[in-house]
Amino acid sequence: MNFANITPILADTMTLAEKSISSAKVILTGFVVVFVVLFLLIFIINIYGAIIQKATQGGKKKKEKISEPEKNSATPSVVSRNTASASASAPNVQNGISEEVVAVITAAVAASSDSSSRTRIKSIKKSDGSRSAWANAGILDNTRPF
Amino acid sequence: MEILQGFVDAVVGIVRSSGIFTLQWENYVMIGISIILLYLAIKKQYEPLLLLPIAFGMLLVNLYPAIMAAPSTELLTAEQCAAKDIATSGHASMIIDGVTYYENPTYGGLLYYLYQGVKLGIYPPLIFLGIGCMTDFGPLIANPKSLILGAAAQIGIFLTFTGAVFLGFTEAEAGAIGIIGGADGPTAIYVTTKLAPHLLGSIAIAAYSYMALVPIIQPPIMKALTTKKERSVVMEQLRPVSKLEKIMFPVIVVILIAIFLPDAAPLVGMLMLGNLFKESGVVERLCKTAQNELMNIITIFLGTTVGATASGQNFLTLATIKIIVLGLIAFCLGTAFGVLFGKIMYKLTGGKVNPLIGSAGVSAVPMAARVSQKVGQQENPGNFLLMHAMGPNVAGVIGSAVAAGVLLNVVG
Repeated sequence: MNFANITPILADTMTLAEKSISSAKVILTGFVVVFVVLFLLIFIINIYGAIIQKATQGGKKKKEKISEPEKNSATPSVVSRNTASASASAPNVQNGISEEVVAVITAAVAASSDSSSRTRIKSIKKSDGSRSAWANAGILDNTRPF
Repeated sequence: MEILQGFVDAVVGIVRSSGIFTLQWENYVMIGISIILLYLAIKKQYEPLLLLPIAFGMLLVNLYPAIMAAPSTELLTAEQCAAKDIATSGHASMIIDGVTYYENPTYGGLLYYLYQGVKLGIYPPLIFLGIGCMTDFGPLIANPKSLILGAAAQIGIFLTFTGAVFLGFTEAEAGAIGIIGGADGPTAIYVTTKLAPHLLGSIAIAAYSYMALVPIIQPPIMKALTTKKERSVVMEQLRPVSKLEKIMFPVIVVILIAIFLPDAAPLVGMLMLGNLFKESGVVERLCKTAQNELMNIITIFLGTTVGATASGQNFLTLATIKIIVLGLIAFCLGTAFGVLFGKIMYKLTGGKVNPLIGSAGVSAVPMAARVSQKVGQQENPGNFLLMHAMGPNVAGVIGSAVAAGVLLNVVG
């Protein structure tokens, strides 16, 4: 291989001292700027995260009371409610839904809801109609990347 | 007899203009390399979406170098114009030694025109637009500290810069080589076109090769730097992130970064625009186009033309070998610093952070996060680090764009 003709790319024009200064300059600037910008981001995300969480938590309690009578949404539809007292009464489960399905739904609700408050499933019902082919296609399309 | 002579002349002309007479030995070597890359893309499926067009662009330019030729003007005499059926009126003319020459523009090769999107820095930000549409910054918003790991993994970029300067590269070239350590293809291409366009072929190929090799390069470094106890840490579940937080995130990030580091604005701006498409939920059509059709079209143009910069005369140099070695060092250093900062966070949080998520701070989304998950599961099969690693992973994309902005500003 002929390596002689590549000198323009590798032209060694800087002295050792210049190289050291240039490297130190880039390392220092890079290090400081990248960390400062990202630390600033951490700071801002923390602040606005806290503000939004506080603001939405106030509104959440009101919403939960309203959303109780949802029926025809999912198969089977679940009505849950956060309660401070954990009374262990059995949920109102329709015929034809096995205990395993109840357990799975309860676990899913518990995992996705805020872990600090306790959740009780009050009733599980099958919805009237199944999802339309278009709705199925839509969900499939949206969840494909995962 | 005249017909026969005409036939012989035509055949001789075709043979003379064919590759057999015009190609150099370097071109043949590159044809061989491109076929190996095609094999790796198709059979081994190493980043095939990029490697396949890159390899084919490489093949084309070495078979027919004029496909990347820039447009120019040729000087023709009046007789030559007549022979080529070109009207002399309307062409600028000049008189040399008493003969009038007419300037006749010639057109550039196909890939030359497509390459302008790379050269002018148009394609990489458009790819970032699509990436933004596909990225969920939720894990990062839920755990903003992962940005530290995203920053730590960029240290490799700046250390490699030093190595490259001492190996004889200019500052601008060294900056372009260092950015390979960011493990982010579009960022590497963007920076290289601005700092050292003549190295584009080598740097793009090195960057994409190492991204494809993430699952092979990273695990040994991760294991060497961590203890079994550290690797088995199970992290707490991330808090759910509200829609409003996700919508505000791209706007806040772009304001902050574009103000402090305008050089990073094209990349970060497009990334965040794509993310706002996704999170706002009101422009689903734009979001779908950006992440599917637009991104696919740009990928075809970008891959083919980046491959076409690797003509034999450009690529088969000692510089390419140095770039490939330095790129590997940059990549390893990025991984190592990510893991080391992960260890620091492990110590500071009293064992709540698994240092393995640090290696995901090099971008390479989502491959690097998957590697963290895989190495974590080798110690504890019930440990799911994927979502925790996605935080540093997407932070790495922002981090490398910021690092790119720094390099463009300091050495550009």
